[in-house]
Amino acid sequence: MDTRRITVDPITRLEGHGKIDIFLDERGDVERAFFQVPELRGFEVFSVGRPAEDMPQITSRICGVCPTAHHMAATKALDALYSVEPTPTARKVRELVYNAFMLEDHALHVYVLGGPDFIVGPDAPPSLRNVSGVIAKVGADAGRRVISMRRRLRELIGRIGGKAIHPVLGLPGGVAKGVSPEDLPAFRALADEAVDFARFTLRVFRDLVLGNDAYLRMITAEAYTHRTYSMGMVDARNRVDFYDGDLRVVDPEGSEYAKFPAHRYLDFVAEHVEPWSYVKFCYLKPVGWKGFVDGRDSGVYSVAPMARLNASEGMATEEAQAAHDELYAALGPKPVHYTLANHWARVVEMVQAAERIRDLLADPEIAGADLRNLPTAVPRVGVGAVEAPRGTLFHHYETDGDGRIVRANLIVATQGNSARMAMGVEKAAKEMIRGGEVREGLLNRVEMAFRAYDPCHGCATHSLPGQVPLVLRILDRAGRVIDEIRR
Amino acid sequence: MTRGPADLVLALGNDLLGDDAAGPLAARTLASRYRDRVAIVESGEAGLALLELIEGRRRVLILDSIRSGAFPPGTVREMAPESFRGVLAPSPHYAGLPEVLALGRRLGSEMPGELRVLSIEVEDPFTIREALSPAVASAMPRFVEAAAGILDDWLAASAGR
Repeated sequence: MDTRRITVDPITRLEGHGKIDIFLDERGDVERAFFQVPELRGFEVFSVGRPAEDMPQITSRICGVCPTAHHMAATKALDALYSVEPTPTARKVRELVYNAFMLEDHALHVYVLGGPDFIVGPDAPPSLRNVSGVIAKVGADAGRRVISMRRRLRELIGRIGGKAIHPVLGLPGGVAKGVSPEDLPAFRALADEAVDFARFTLRVFRDLVLGNDAYLRMITAEAYTHRTYSMGMVDARNRVDFYDGDLRVVDPEGSEYAKFPAHRYLDFVAEHVEPWSYVKFCYLKPVGWKGFVDGRDSGVYSVAPMARLNASEGMATEEAQAAHDELYAALGPKPVHYTLANHWARVVEMVQAAERIRDLLADPEIAGADLRNLPTAVPRVGVGAVEAPRGTLFHHYETDGDGRIVRANLIVATQGNSARMAMGVEKAAKEMIRGGEVREGLLNRVEMAFRAYDPCHGCATHSLPGQVPLVLRILDRAGRVIDEIRR
Repeated sequence: MTRGPADLVLALGNDLLGDDAAGPLAARTLASRYRDRVAIVESGEAGLALLELIEGRRRVLILDSIRSGAFPPGTVREMAPESFRGVLAPSPHYAGLPEVLALGRRLGSEMPGELRVLSIEVEDPFTIREALSPAVASAMPRFVEAAAGILDDWLAASAGR
């Protein structure tokens, strides 16, 4: 038999948003699988010569999915560039906005994306595996609650930071606007609801998913397991922190491998290039690139919810800690290497984000008037990092003495998982295709291997609605299509 | 929620992403002509965020760039909303129009009585820059006029009611 190529090709309005080529060997088993995504071009060229202060606005406008993450990473890079710390109030305002963003973004993923895989179920018919299917399962009241909570969190972000999709909050050394004392009662009421909402989500997840042995078997299946390093941001007590702290890396057995401040990222993170992909694959520089393999000797690492929990010694808030303990009691010990456990870890993080919102709003300093320390240092280099919903995000700027960008580099969150995603797609494909037999549900099972990471590719995000058919093509060695399956 | 006019032009796209700016740029031209009579919103978002924007509107016209590869850059086409198949996207942010409409109805939200989609075929929506490619730039007047034709019909129908 000829080597065959199976292509899983989601054609979106931005053609080639992602494409999976599966090559079979002469026995009809999977030889290699390539997960390809397009990349945005021209970021550095666009940035050079612009005033550094514009970067929080420019970078947040580039991406419609995580504008707040880019805005905050850029703002922190400006703090570093101008050697200025935000005032205590400014820092809390930033954290408040950031946690509100994390909560609404995670909620979207849990209900809309993880929902079809977990709440409706991976083997449900495709016609139900969408958001309407989720609503059918959890009920319309719950659906309205999700939509309403998300909208009001975005309104809170907008009230403080300008439009949720184009925030104008961050300035070097502070914020442009604080929380006005008149808004506090409404914000506090929203925060209490947010905590309830996070608890509710945890219950939904627990009841629907953990009450089902088939789900648990799927989460722990070898097909979705990679024993890699984990990276995440931690506070001074090694607890999960989305906004600030050192980056901590644990090895595949869970021991601390490295802990470093953002400005040392180039000592630890390097990018590997493959001829078949635009994506640069991040790996741990001191360990080195050994290919798409897991284990202690391979520099492949993971980011995003499960990795963040793995890289920490626990959560920063009480109820989130209890949810964290429940996860590890079921799937542990730490670290957990199951890709699909990201869905659960995401819910644990929602609890922490909601509790942080509540606690920050309970602190009188949040409505303080001291919003900015004015920068006085001459700028040169600044690196800022945050935990985006999808993982660690680095912004690195270098400027001339007038603060104009001469060099700009971003390491976006999805890159931190790109090697693991490529490995996951290949492993799932191997599981589903044997001896030329393509098992039912190939597309979905392969997609599940990367959907769990909530990937955001190329930061080119809005899509004309619905134009995302999946095409599976089987090609012979000569490139002729011998079969085509559309969904 | 009061948000001005009952009719909405929703321009999807990112004005920093080359040809992806076609929708928002057309919207800005339309805004000067239809101010106060039609709501004009630019958005770089997708999926569920669209639900918040379209619910409660009477009629919605979506302007977007598309790269199908099946037509020369600059081709302006009206597409039937039903032609967008409801599929599970790789990210929630790519949730499809049929899903958004179905979800809205399911939740009892007020969905538009009429929804039309006008697209322009683009060449390069991947490069971060503030310029359209020549074929798209020269087609912009046609894109704007096609949208204006729909809006004029809507406004005339409302006036004659």
